[in-house]
Amino acid sequence: MRAGEHDTPLQHMSAIGAAAQASVPGLYAWGVTVVPCAWARGSPLGAKVLAVAALVFLAAGVAGERRFGHRARVGSLWGFVAASAATWVSAPMGVGPAHVDAARGLAGMLGWGLFAFASAAPVSKAPVEARAPGRASDDPAAVAAPPSRARATFGDWGYVGVGMLGAAAMQAVGWHVAAVERALFVRLVALAAGLTFVGAAVQVALARRLPRSPAPAKQRARRALGPLVALALLAAWGMASLTRC
Amino acid sequence: MLGSMHILDWLSIALVVAAGAAFVMGEVALARADDLQALYWLAVGIASLRAGVQVARPGAKA
Repeated sequence: MRAGEHDTPLQHMSAIGAAAQASVPGLYAWGVTVVPCAWARGSPLGAKVLAVAALVFLAAGVAGERRFGHRARVGSLWGFVAASAATWVSAPMGVGPAHVDAARGLAGMLGWGLFAFASAAPVSKAPVEARAPGRASDDPAAVAAPPSRARATFGDWGYVGVGMLGAAAMQAVGWHVAAVERALFVRLVALAAGLTFVGAAVQVALARRLPRSPAPAKQRARRALGPLVALALLAAWGMASLTRC
Repeated sequence: MLGSMHILDWLSIALVVAAGAAFVMGEVALARADDLQALYWLAVGIASLRAGVQVARPGAKA
């Protein structure tokens, strides 16, 4: 599939490759944790060379993935991580308490966590839509016709948009907490909840494109029975707590 | 699009939205230092999100 043929944001994300998806959080983590260390006062030239090498590894993964596939992505990942670690080792004064405060440490941790998440679980390619039952198999127009552009774009943007809005709303909570430790904890929980929410919204959106089995409703309800029972028990416990107060 | 959606699709959307609301309630409780309530709402959010995703997935092999 050539560039420009991707109708939905999900298909576009899956088409740019796993290395490209991981490059954004990787670049952020590099900027927050490696650059200040390499260019701290007193850092040796070798630290700067290693920092630049880490960036080159990251870029090489994006550039080489289309041609070399999985090997380019793995080489880029390990080269980027090794060069970043070598930078910290060669400039230990750059990671001392004088250069890294709690906010930068947390930002760096989040950046590397997002990089690891994007590297380990990139957006997968959307499955091919199944042909509708009863459609004539010898009708070339029916076989070659792409899915409705309006339906795919609106639906996917809707799900992803709701997911992103929900995740953004979660980040608006807890900015006036007095205690620093609790404030950082609230930020961590908010970020994790936001990422989980966006991931679930994308999963629900992708589920619309999967082929339907003959009796999906009973199987879907049965699969969700465990979480629904847990939800009912939690609701009952909540109601009981409210009536006791 | 709306007409072709099954009732379970709407249930899935409702569960995911409810999960988002539960997560926000949990964060508010956490910011208030009410940890038990925060744990409760976060557990509700996780269960609701899991149920929503499971309901959305069609078919036995999905």
